[in-house]
Amino acid sequence: MLWHDVRQAWWSFRRSPWLTVLIIGAMAAGIGASLITLTLYHARAGNPIWWKNDRLFAVTLDNRLADPKSDGNSRHPEYPPFMLTWRDAQAIYRSDIPVRSAKMFASGRVIDPQRPGVPMFRAATRVTSADFFAMFDVPFLYGTGWPRTADETPEPVVVISRAINDRVFGGADSVGRSINVSGRQFRVVGVIDRWMPQPRFYDLSRAFDPSEGLFLPFGWTTAWELPAAGPIRCLSNDQVGSFKEMLAAECVWLQVWVELASDEQRARYQQFLDNYVREQKEAGRFPRPLNNRLADVATWLDMNDVVGDKSRILVAVALLFLVVCVLNTLGLMLARFLGAAPISGLRRALGATRRDIVRQHLTEVMLMGLIGGIAGLGLAKAGLWLLHVLLFLPMARQSINPQAQTLAHSMTHLDGLMVLAALAISLIAGLLAGWYPAWRIGRLQPASFLKSQ
Amino acid sequence: MIAMHGVSKVFRTDLVETHALRDFDLEVAPGEFVAVTGPSGSGKTTFLNVAGLLEEFSGSYRLDGRDVGHLSDDERSRIRNEKIGFVFQSFNLIPDLSVYDNLDVPLWYRRIPAAERRRRIMTTLERVGLAARSKHIPAQLSGGQQQRAAIARALAGDPCVILADEPTGNLDSVMSGQVMDLFEEIHRAGATIVMVTHNLELVRRAQRHVQIADGQLIDVGLQQAVTFDGAAVQA
Repeated sequence: MLWHDVRQAWWSFRRSPWLTVLIIGAMAAGIGASLITLTLYHARAGNPIWWKNDRLFAVTLDNRLADPKSDGNSRHPEYPPFMLTWRDAQAIYRSDIPVRSAKMFASGRVIDPQRPGVPMFRAATRVTSADFFAMFDVPFLYGTGWPRTADETPEPVVVISRAINDRVFGGADSVGRSINVSGRQFRVVGVIDRWMPQPRFYDLSRAFDPSEGLFLPFGWTTAWELPAAGPIRCLSNDQVGSFKEMLAAECVWLQVWVELASDEQRARYQQFLDNYVREQKEAGRFPRPLNNRLADVATWLDMNDVVGDKSRILVAVALLFLVVCVLNTLGLMLARFLGAAPISGLRRALGATRRDIVRQHLTEVMLMGLIGGIAGLGLAKAGLWLLHVLLFLPMARQSINPQAQTLAHSMTHLDGLMVLAALAISLIAGLLAGWYPAWRIGRLQPASFLKSQ
Repeated sequence: MIAMHGVSKVFRTDLVETHALRDFDLEVAPGEFVAVTGPSGSGKTTFLNVAGLLEEFSGSYRLDGRDVGHLSDDERSRIRNEKIGFVFQSFNLIPDLSVYDNLDVPLWYRRIPAAERRRRIMTTLERVGLAARSKHIPAQLSGGQQQRAAIARALAGDPCVILADEPTGNLDSVMSGQVMDLFEEIHRAGATIVMVTHNLELVRRAQRHVQIADGQLIDVGLQQAVTFDGAAVQA
C-alpha cells in the first residue's frame, strides 16, 4: 500500500514539477532557518552533565549588604551572589557531608614548552581541588587527577589538557614528565582527553569558553598569590590593596560545587550551610534573611540565564518563519490538490474510499516534507558553515586557548539529534501543511469532476 | 439488475431548487443493453451519477438485488468498485499513467493480488485489442484507442453493469464505429449496459431505448430512435 501511494506521489510530482519544487523549497527554507537557530540554541541550552543533574550542586550564600541598592542592576535580586568569598569557600569546603566537593576559580599561567621552535604561551588555568575531576566525570587520556593531599601542601603537580599535551609533549604520554609553568617545574599527573562541557557549567562567568588547558592544586592560590582571571565582585566598601586583603574582604570570586548522593544528604548539607550562616550572622556578617541555595546543574544554568532572552527570541522568530512557510505550503498544497481534484474524483468513481484518497495525498505531502527536510538540512549545514567561517572561527583565532577552534566547530555542528529534529520537523510540517488539503480533497463529491476531467 | 423506484434528486442553492430527477422509475434486466436519451439538462447525467452511486438521492434503488439507498460512503465506494464499470465521454484516463496502470487503478483499490490483476489486465487488453499498447500513456493513443482503454478499465473489474456516458461523443465516425462494435460485442458476451447517448446508431444497436425529459422517464421501448432534440421517432 505504501509503495503504491509513493508511486502515486511520484506521478503527481511529475505532473506539476515546478509547483513541487516551490513547495519543497518553501519547506526547506523554513526547516533550514529553524535548524540553524535550533542548533545554536541547542549548543547553548544543553545540560552538559545531565546524568549527574540530581547529584551536583552549586553552592551559593547570600552575604550581600542589607541595603538592596547595593545589589546593582541584578535581573534576579532574589538570587544570592553566584560566587563565594575566600573565607566562606574555605569554611564550607571543610564539611565532610558531601561525597565530593571542589572549590575553584579561573586564573592564567604561562607555559614554557622548553622545546626549540615552540614559543611560550599563556594557558587558561583552573585552580581547583582534587575532587574536581571525579566529580565532573572528566575523561583522562593519560594518568589521573592529583590526590587530596596535593591540595594543601601544595605539591607541584598539574593536570593538562590534550591540546597542551600535544603542544608541549607532541601528544606523547607525559605523565611523570616535567612542565614549566610560570618559571617553576611541575610534574604532570594527568592528561585530560577531549572534554569541553558546553555551557561550561562549573564556571558560568564565561559560559561558552572552552574548558581550561591547565589545572593546578588549590593550595597554589596562596603559595603563589594567584590572581583570579574571572570576575571579582566586592560587596562592601573594604579597601582591597593586596592579595591578603582580598582574602579577608567581602569579595566573591570562588565557585564551590558539591556532590550529594541523596535527598537526606542534601538536607543535611543545607542545614550545615544555614548553621554556618547563622554563626556568621552573630559575627556581624550576612545581614539578610537566610537565602542559601543548593542549585542542581539545570537550575544553576537557569539561574544564570545561560541561554538568554535573545536566543529564545531568535528561536521563536525562526519557528514563526517555519509557521509562515508551513502556511504558504498549505496554500500551495491546496492549489495543487484542487488542481488534481478531477483525478481524485475519477479515483473515487473507480472505487477509492475517502480514506484511500486522504492517505494517498498525505503520503504525497509527507514525501514532500521529507524531501524538504533533507533540503532544509543541506541549507542548515551551509548556513552553519558560513556562520562558522565568518563569525565563530575569527573569534576562536583570537583566543589563547587552543581548544577554542574545536569549540567554534562544536557550536555550529549539526549533530545526530538535530538531524532527527529536522526529520521530525519536516514530517510534522508536512502533516500540518497537508492535512487540511488532503481532508478537503477526500470530501469532494466525485461526480462534480467527472465531466470536466 | 437495476431497479429504481421513485428516485428523486434535487440540487439546491440559496436561491434556486432544481429537480434533476423526480419520481424516476427504471428497471434494467441482467444482460440488457439500454440506451438513454434526452435533451440537454433533462437529467441524463444525474441519472447516471445516481445509478453509479456518485450522488446522494432519495427513493428506492436496488442494484444486483441489494438496496443501495442508504449506504455509507465507504460501502458506496466498494460497490462502485466491484459492481459498476464506468465509461465516460472524455475517456477519463489518468494522463500520466500507462494504459496498464490505468486499468490497474480500480483493481488495486479492490486489493486484488498482483498476479491476478496482471492476468485480468492483459486478458482485457487483448479483448479490446490494446495489448501491444499497454505501456503507452493516453496522450500516445488515438481517441478511439483511449476510449477502448477506458472500456477495458470498466471491464477488467468484471462488473454487473456498465454505465456509459456518451462514449462516442468525442470520437469521429470511424472511431465511433469501432467503439460501438466493441459495446455490441461486450453485450453479446452477457454484459448489462446502460448508456446515455445522442448517437442514433448506438440507440439502434441497443435492445431498449428510454428517454428522459425534465427528470422523468419516458420509456419508448424497442425499435425506436430519437432525433437530436429528444423527440421519439419511428426507426
